[in-house]
Amino acid sequence: MKARQNGRGSNDAPHGCENESLSGRLLARLVPLNLRASGTEDGMTVVSARSSEWVRPVTQQDPASAIIEIDRVSQVFQTSARKDHVALSDISLRIEERAFVSILGPSGCGKSTLLYIVGGFVSPTSGAAKVKGQAIKGPGPDRGPVFQEFALFPWKTVLGNVMYGPRQQGIRAAEAEAQSRALIDMVGLKGYENFYPKELSGGMKQRVALARTLAYHPEVLLMDEPFGALDAHTRTRLQNDLLNIWERDRKTVLFVTHSVDEAVFLSDKVVMMSKSPGRIRQVIDIDLPRPRRRNELLLDPRYQKYVVDIERMFDESDEGGVPA
Amino acid sequence: MMSPAGMTKRAAPVLACIGLLVVWQVASLALKNDSFPTAMGAITAIPDILGDKESLVNILASLRRMAMGFGAAVLVSIPLGLLMGRSAAIAAFFNPLLMVIYPVPKAALMPIIMLWLGVGDIAKTLVIFLGVSLPVIYHSFEGAKAVEEKMLWSGAAMGLLPVQRLVRIVLPAALPEILTGCRTGLVLALITMITSEMIARQSGAGNILFNALDMGQYDTVFAMIIIVGAMGICLDAIFERVRARLVRWSEPQFDMPLSFS
Ligand SMILES: Nc1ncnc2c1ncn2[C@@H]1O[C@H](COP(=O)(O)OP(=O)(O)OP(=O)(O)O)[C@@H](O)[C@H]1O
Ligand SMILES: [Mg+2]
Repeated sequence: MKARQNGRGSNDAPHGCENESLSGRLLARLVPLNLRASGTEDGMTVVSARSSEWVRPVTQQDPASAIIEIDRVSQVFQTSARKDHVALSDISLRIEERAFVSILGPSGCGKSTLLYIVGGFVSPTSGAAKVKGQAIKGPGPDRGPVFQEFALFPWKTVLGNVMYGPRQQGIRAAEAEAQSRALIDMVGLKGYENFYPKELSGGMKQRVALARTLAYHPEVLLMDEPFGALDAHTRTRLQNDLLNIWERDRKTVLFVTHSVDEAVFLSDKVVMMSKSPGRIRQVIDIDLPRPRRRNELLLDPRYQKYVVDIERMFDESDEGGVPA
Repeated sequence: MMSPAGMTKRAAPVLACIGLLVVWQVASLALKNDSFPTAMGAITAIPDILGDKESLVNILASLRRMAMGFGAAVLVSIPLGLLMGRSAAIAAFFNPLLMVIYPVPKAALMPIIMLWLGVGDIAKTLVIFLGVSLPVIYHSFEGAKAVEEKMLWSGAAMGLLPVQRLVRIVLPAALPEILTGCRTGLVLALITMITSEMIARQSGAGNILFNALDMGQYDTVFAMIIIVGAMGICLDAIFERVRARLVRWSEPQFDMPLSFS
């Protein structure tokens, strides 16, 4: 744990080092020799540091470092046609404390459902999900969701929405307001404090939803395509802000997205899912140095390689997966 | 400065009222029927009624019963409707009961209620209470059912307990719908108020109206109809003001002229 944390940001550290042997194998596949040779020195050290022998003792010494454990979870929905619809099938996943994990997959593969299970909003049909070693029984302020549908409180202003969580936790009004105003400023909505949600655009609502959840400091952020409705510029800005917050507070983040770039840019680990039934296809460790700077990363061949390889994997599954 | 469209909108209700009175006047002059007084006759009878102390006491007694019945109905119906909207079990229990009461005209229960409770305030207030309850329960129920689940989840994640979620999320989220029910309830309160007094003659605006009818004072009858109508319009306009303030956050941007407010 210690070693991993200290190492973050420097280049020779292992990132997201549970799931050791699988990720080791994957990485070898994802970063072929020619790239390793032609890459920067960082690239070479990262790769060489990822041998499974090196990593394994760290996680086994500290099994508590998995803040979220999902064990063989399946979710079956009864559809209106009275047929069973398997939304999630046999999902197992360990998410390390303070890790940034993205879930990537086609529409309808169960990403939101998985997030709801971790949030405690939905209980799985079978299997178990745990947070900090405790079975998840329901929602709690330790896990803060940012929903795809925003779900803002329409009768509250922007400020009222953001202050809601802190006030609920007994923080004094003046203090909660000061914190909330700072957060609203951070998400770029200064001047909109007294607007009602109906007076905001989709992208603005999404930013309020993000601020509202950050305001009560959950240990785990559950973000469901939080930047989906944003223009490219705001999206980039908020990605950077999110990374800054994360690098400062080191929350655990479970981040659902459609965008491969976004997943690679933000994450320690990308969970690739496939559809019908929703399964985990692959878990890929993203070994890119932190803090990540967008302009540097876009030029980094290792980053490009991750993006291209992940996109290719999806294309392959599309070709193979479409029933005739 | 007001735009021409705005002026027309303002003037339209006044023009409608004047038009109605003119048609009434002409029709009654043409028909020459004793039981159909002229508009002028009815209007000139209004000051006589409102100037009479006993009539005023009667009308105020009506309004008091109406306020009490309406208030009690709202206080009971909103929580019940919200609970039904959020709990299938509670809805399953109350729905059949309400379905039985729903089609019965509440004033038709008046004779039975009078047998139990007499002809006094309690019986009449109870009938008003019943008349108001159903639309308020129904709209609260629909409003609570439609509350977006993720909103409740967000609240739960912030640590709100189920009861807190009902009061602090379901209630405000369903408020626009609840107030729509209350507005219907208000009109029904006025109607049941008059009909209850028609059956249990003892005091009230309905009492004046039907006594005058019995005595063939048709000017007074029609004057009372105008007074009751005006009361309805005023109450509705006041309610609409309050409603618009409470749910400013959900009003559509363009305004819909639903009343004379
Ligand atoms: N309440 C429900 N009842 C029935 N089926 C459901 C329900 N919720 C989700 N599903 C089904 O489960 C599957 C997964 O849904 P989910 O919302 O988790 O997908 P997703 O990966 O988040 O998709 P998207 O990227 O479009 O948001 C879908 O096929 C959907 O039809
Ligand atoms: Mg989704």
